[in-house]
Amino acid sequence: MIAGPLVDATFWVFALGSIVAGYRVFRTDSMVRAAFYLLASFAGVGGIVVLLGAEFLGMVLILMMAGEMLIMAIVMVMFMMNPAGLNPMVMVHQNRRAAVAGIVAFVALAAVGLLGNFPARPVPDPSTATAELGTELLGDSMLVFQSAGVALLSTMIGAVVIAGRKGRFGVAEEDSIEPSLQPDEEPGR
Amino acid sequence: MRPYVGAEVALLATAAALVAGVYLVAVLDRFAAALVAGAVGSWRRLLVVPLAAAAALLVQQRRTTERPDGAGWAVAPALFFGLAAFALALVPLGPDLVIADPSTGFVAFSAAIAFVMIAVFLHGWSPNSPFALHGAYRYGAAALSFQIPFLLAMLATALPAESLSIVDIVRAQEPAWNVLRQPLGLPLYLVVGVGVSFWGPLNLSDASDVAGGTSVEDSGVARLLWTIARSAMLVAVAAMGAAGFLGGWWGPILPGPAWMIAKTGAVLLAILAAGHLLARVRIATFVLVAWAVLIPLALLNVFVSGAILL
Amino acid sequence: MGLTALLARVATGAPVPVFAVAGPGTRSLIRDLRLRPEIRLVDTPRPASVLLVGGLVPAEMEMAVARVHDAMAHPRATVLWSAGAAGLGRPEGFDDAIPVDGDPVAACVAAYRDILVGRRGSEPPILPDVDPAPWRGVGPYGQGGSGMTGGVPYGRPMAELGPDPDGLRLDVLPVAVGPLFPRFPAGLVVDARLAGDLVLEVEVANLLANATAAAPSPEADPFLRALGERVAIADLELARARAHLRSVAEALLAAGLEALALRALRIAANLRAGDGALVRRLATIISATQVLRWSLRGVGAVPPEAVAGLGAGPVARASGLREDLRLEDPAYRDLGFAPLVDAGGDAAARLRLRLGEAVQSLDLAARAGARAATATGRVETPRGRLEAESSASERLFTVLPSLLREHEWGDVVATIVSLDLDLEEGPLARGRARPEAAA
Repeated sequence: MIAGPLVDATFWVFALGSIVAGYRVFRTDSMVRAAFYLLASFAGVGGIVVLLGAEFLGMVLILMMAGEMLIMAIVMVMFMMNPAGLNPMVMVHQNRRAAVAGIVAFVALAAVGLLGNFPARPVPDPSTATAELGTELLGDSMLVFQSAGVALLSTMIGAVVIAGRKGRFGVAEEDSIEPSLQPDEEPGR
Repeated sequence: MRPYVGAEVALLATAAALVAGVYLVAVLDRFAAALVAGAVGSWRRLLVVPLAAAAALLVQQRRTTERPDGAGWAVAPALFFGLAAFALALVPLGPDLVIADPSTGFVAFSAAIAFVMIAVFLHGWSPNSPFALHGAYRYGAAALSFQIPFLLAMLATALPAESLSIVDIVRAQEPAWNVLRQPLGLPLYLVVGVGVSFWGPLNLSDASDVAGGTSVEDSGVARLLWTIARSAMLVAVAAMGAAGFLGGWWGPILPGPAWMIAKTGAVLLAILAAGHLLARVRIATFVLVAWAVLIPLALLNVFVSGAILL
Repeated sequence: MGLTALLARVATGAPVPVFAVAGPGTRSLIRDLRLRPEIRLVDTPRPASVLLVGGLVPAEMEMAVARVHDAMAHPRATVLWSAGAAGLGRPEGFDDAIPVDGDPVAACVAAYRDILVGRRGSEPPILPDVDPAPWRGVGPYGQGGSGMTGGVPYGRPMAELGPDPDGLRLDVLPVAVGPLFPRFPAGLVVDARLAGDLVLEVEVANLLANATAAAPSPEADPFLRALGERVAIADLELARARAHLRSVAEALLAAGLEALALRALRIAANLRAGDGALVRRLATIISATQVLRWSLRGVGAVPPEAVAGLGAGPVARASGLREDLRLEDPAYRDLGFAPLVDAGGDAAARLRLRLGEAVQSLDLAARAGARAATATGRVETPRGRLEAESSASERLFTVLPSLLREHEWGDVVATIVSLDLDLEEGPLARGRARPEAAA
């Protein structure tokens, strides 16, 4: 944990930047801009996590979000009939419900932040924090994390197989017929 | 995060290294090109022309397109250059001569490399121009493919060091450089490093078949900044390659920083020469090779390095 | 002296960024300008400071030249180079342009110096600044669109949904490339419908079809003369080797190997009959760059039945066809000429074949002595069979869309470059056959 006026200033830059960028996500008129504002917001949060002493988590957050937001932006541009997503469009819908959900979530999180009983011990050296994380991931909780990892991987492979054009029953758009589950039923489509 | 030097000194040192590095890239690239073309002009011309070309771009108007995303277009080169500076600041010149040595230096460097994707995509998307967007798509496809082999190649260097800190990774190379212990590592890293700064055979996003790709609409200062940012990232990649695989400051007779600079220069020269001697790959071929060849090789590299340590 | 003035003074030492337009008859001359260190040919007009227009631009291309001019950043100037033709035409609107008959490079350098130090004003735009389609004030944001998909936002047509070969429905963007795209021959327009980087549908147009070429380049001259008179085989074969090397240089440029392309151009510029070893060495280096493997292998496959009978020269021979007019010439038979044939059929095969044919031509030129080709009204040029009425490249146009469809844009460019289309040959040959039409 490092402290000082420079660190405080950095915190406020990240914090305010995240909030402004998060607000802009909903006020912008383009999908790609929205994705990049969201990324900026996440990067600010990642920076704050680093300042809090969890260097590894903060850096990994930034690392992962870069790729994810890029994929999101490209997929949105690909599927929306809009050259490069530069045609302005309304990015929000169901405004009332979204506002209610947002306010409830904010109040709940703020309540946790203000009323929660946080421990007041100083954060250890960041390098030991990284080591502790590693021990946790590959020690006591190894079974949980490895099972989750394998489950996610098989889900991804399954999704790719389902989305693929060639399935078990022939090419997707070529009138392929699934066999029915009942012996005397007509094959379903 | 242990700051070794004051913030002012650190900023100045990084800036100086970047300026010197960018100029070196410009001169070495011209030199390599002239050698391959078979006509080396005078040394004076070699040294002066990059500066004159930069001045020419400075006095040129900065054109915009109709309806661009102005903010994105302006931010992209700055972001790219900032990432290069960030990455370079993580590279140690000597055991005590480093601007920033976070305990997770390896992850920080990888995060910077990942963010380059954003800078390049933004640069290609913002001008609202078909070829620029085309270049951005290409970089997205290539970068998403080389991220994993890159992380795995870098990860293997952290194994003998038992640390994610770059200084520790270099320190652990005292008995043997990683290029000897993990012969697959440096080639894998260089493939990706060239891809990150889209140079030579992996210059897919700013390629000649899309008339300059993401920079097709750039003129004047915008083009100069983009060129500088690209060169700066190349310097950072070469410096990290020297630190991660070529033993950093370790070497006989000469002081550590001299070795580090010499090794960085050698890696740079190799990359720049390869840029003029290797043809650009097809994007489809590269993506296929990245997923089907580079990732298995990188995994093999990690497993073998781990097995040796056990 | 102010900072800007100082920078401008320093900038005069830089190679002049030139965007070059090759009018009919100046193609190889413009390509050779890459060898001049005083200028740098750029791929896009944005960073160009000097627009160099060679020869007489046909009326169909004038609009494109004006648009390129207006896309250039200030300060800018235009140099109109007559390239040896008498009576230079001036495209409409280029009233401030600098005409030059001699060395275009010296004119470019002088023009650049003048606009930098302010001795010459930067040229104003030629075309009026109007929207391509009315859009202002229309739609919810005044952007010309309606909702997510309709309208003409900012005057540009929207991309539309269309099927792609993966069975998805993604947007399809119409993009017309040419006639001044630097990788294509001047005058070629490729009207592509792009889904991402995939060309779904494509139409091609030749804006040089009705051009009147004033004077042939030194590269084309021997072949044009051979249409009607006996020309020394040594001259023809040396010109063929040069043309092949220039084509190889274009392929290297497209593959990102600019320095090696310069080497090929330099060899072409100083070529003599005994230089076969030089070309063979270049072929070895080219092979080491992997351009024949990871850049071009399998790209732009031309099935032999698609080009059989078109007289497509190296393109046909690289697809395994033994088509060559030189086989019918007794003078060539006397030299023991046998055409090189490559069964590969892809862009790599065409590049390989051109390098092989360049060596072969140099060998023929060295052994030809005083022999002259028989004049039959048809001649085998570096692009194939040239007749008074049509050229090989013009006949290849009919099959071009089928070669480009459903390929990635990068492969489309590599394919077109590997075909080495020369759209000047036809107009030059027709101008020769009907001199009154060219006058």
